[in-house]
Amino acid sequence: MNLRRIFVLYIKEIIQGPKNFIFLFALLVPVVLTLLVTVVFGTYLTGQSRLGVVDLGSSMLPQLAGENQALSVRSYPSAGALKDAVERGALDMGVVLPADFDRQVGANDLARITVYIWGESQMQNRLILGSAMVHTMRKISGRPLPVEIEQVTLGQGNNVPWEKRLLPLIVLMAVLVAGTMIPATSLVTEKVKRTLTALNASPATMLDVFAAKGLLGITLSVLSATLTLFLNQAFGARPLLLLGVLTLGAVFSAALGIILGALAKDISTLFATIKILRILLFAPGIVYMFPEIPQWIGRIFPTYYIIQPVLEITQNNAGLAEIGQEFTILIGLIVVALGIITGLARRTQDAVAAA
Amino acid sequence: MNLRILVALVQKDISLYFKNRFFALITVIGLVGFIGVFFLMPKSVEENLPVGWYAPSLPEAFTTRLQGEGLELTLYSSEEALRTAVLDGDEPIGIALPEDFGPQLARGETPRAVLYLRSDLADEYRDAYLLLMEELGFMLAGQQLNIETEEVVLGQDMAGQQIAPRQRMLPILVLMILMMEAMGLAALLSAEIETGTLRALLVTDLTVAGLFVSKGVTGILMAFFQVLLLLVITGGLQQEPVLILTVLLLGAFLVTGISFLIAAASRDLMSVFGWGMLAMIGLAIPSFNILLPGLATDWIKGIPSYYLVDTIHQVINFGAGWEQASTNLLVLLAFSAFFFGLGIVILRRKLQ
Repeated sequence: MNLRRIFVLYIKEIIQGPKNFIFLFALLVPVVLTLLVTVVFGTYLTGQSRLGVVDLGSSMLPQLAGENQALSVRSYPSAGALKDAVERGALDMGVVLPADFDRQVGANDLARITVYIWGESQMQNRLILGSAMVHTMRKISGRPLPVEIEQVTLGQGNNVPWEKRLLPLIVLMAVLVAGTMIPATSLVTEKVKRTLTALNASPATMLDVFAAKGLLGITLSVLSATLTLFLNQAFGARPLLLLGVLTLGAVFSAALGIILGALAKDISTLFATIKILRILLFAPGIVYMFPEIPQWIGRIFPTYYIIQPVLEITQNNAGLAEIGQEFTILIGLIVVALGIITGLARRTQDAVAAA
Repeated sequence: MNLRILVALVQKDISLYFKNRFFALITVIGLVGFIGVFFLMPKSVEENLPVGWYAPSLPEAFTTRLQGEGLELTLYSSEEALRTAVLDGDEPIGIALPEDFGPQLARGETPRAVLYLRSDLADEYRDAYLLLMEELGFMLAGQQLNIETEEVVLGQDMAGQQIAPRQRMLPILVLMILMMEAMGLAALLSAEIETGTLRALLVTDLTVAGLFVSKGVTGILMAFFQVLLLLVITGGLQQEPVLILTVLLLGAFLVTGISFLIAAASRDLMSVFGWGMLAMIGLAIPSFNILLPGLATDWIKGIPSYYLVDTIHQVINFGAGWEQASTNLLVLLAFSAFFFGLGIVILRRKLQ
């Protein structure tokens, strides 16, 4: 291997890379997925019941209701806008409050309100919102609670929100899509277009070519994973250790990409193989999403040794000592993958020369 | 146009399609996977809040009344049994009222109630249950507010008969299969353009019109039969089957036109994949609005696939018929004809 030649080839890969769809795809995946998870799980799939309010006066109801975590409260400028939002399912319930509503409630005068209910709203949301509104009105009227409630929390488990459960899968996607697909597609494209044959005639060895393509995969993989952690505000307290683990994860996924690229004959075969392998590669992320599944199952899959140290560092502030076992296994996996690549480089060089 | 040549071309295209390992694999795995996803999703909606309940002093009529108002009460014989049920995860929460709860309230005292909460209960549910519990206290104390409420239910009232998640998924699955086929056909066309076989075909007795008719028929057949199979297996043809078949046919027509456009814009399989993904994401947006209603406003009606997924959703989940679906069908037909025509024009230009 010649470092100067690898560097020249690496620069060529960086210049040619953005012309490839996979290059942009790999960088966009974490951004799009993070946005999607934030929008879907942060707003639409929370257990919150959605209430819309049109306040014709200056009632305290929207503010008091908004303080309750069970509710998501939004204000609307007009009854028409509120009705439209309820009708299309953006709200479970909408209420129009008259101008002197708080005074009426406080004085126990008859107050008339109009409540719009979305037809597909679930019974539990209707119950929670109905109770919440009445409850808030009681607060406004200043009546004391006739019952003393003692809250007792039972059990040891913690609630893991879906945004957090999905993080490992998104980080794995960021590491693997960039790390694996970029070197693999680049290698196969060069084989199909026969530019690999041309490269073989140059002083560069096949191992130099593999190393340059792998380096591009590693660069983008680390970039993509770092971007994902940054967007999810999950960097943790040990950024250097995290960067080290992400780099090792990127090296492993790039090595996997080189192996796939060296073995696949064309793009169709490569995509079909990746499609089959995908479930195995992302399995640890899927296991993590469902705490009911025995978590040891994740250890069977090699990518577990990428994601577990990342999670330990970002979520539990773990140090090298705590992640030592996974770290060592990951290095072992990389050594095995590099051994396979060395063998494949010789085989590919012979095959290209014979073609 | 020679019918014999057209049939031969359709046969050749279908055979070529399945020779592409990637698209052959995703066709089979995709179809099996989508059917699997449908059956793995819940077939009903649990729309009531589960509550463990121990209230020996309350009349049964009160408990029965609560059951019908969005709560699913499970009665326990003792406070200890209720506590164990919450601890074991059988109930998310438990409400225990003392034996002299009613008399204490009647005397104007403040009785003490216990709310058992499972530790892994999400914060929003914790607050919701506390809210309900407090409101229950006011109800039991007979403290009513002087409020007159006019309730207006917008849309069909689905309380107690909510649409199951798997039924909401069905339009998405239909669209995904249609788009996979569009990508497959685009890959086929793109390869034929690049290798020059399309131009070579035009040297034979085949006319340009015949060529596009054969490609169109191939695309529509491939897409239509797969979504048909999906709906037969998942029970999607139980209501208004002729209407559903018409929508599927128009959907297949639409994606075939889109596949012509993808093929015209692409140079190889990689770019088919890129443009195809872009088209798939764009066309999938209206189906996500079915899964998560309220996600988008009226701008969503500018996306052609809205009229496909909305019609399937309305027919399968709300029992809509020809009359209710007619506007959607007409717009879908117009969009399909437009994209098919545009696809032919652009592809033809690329061949010249």
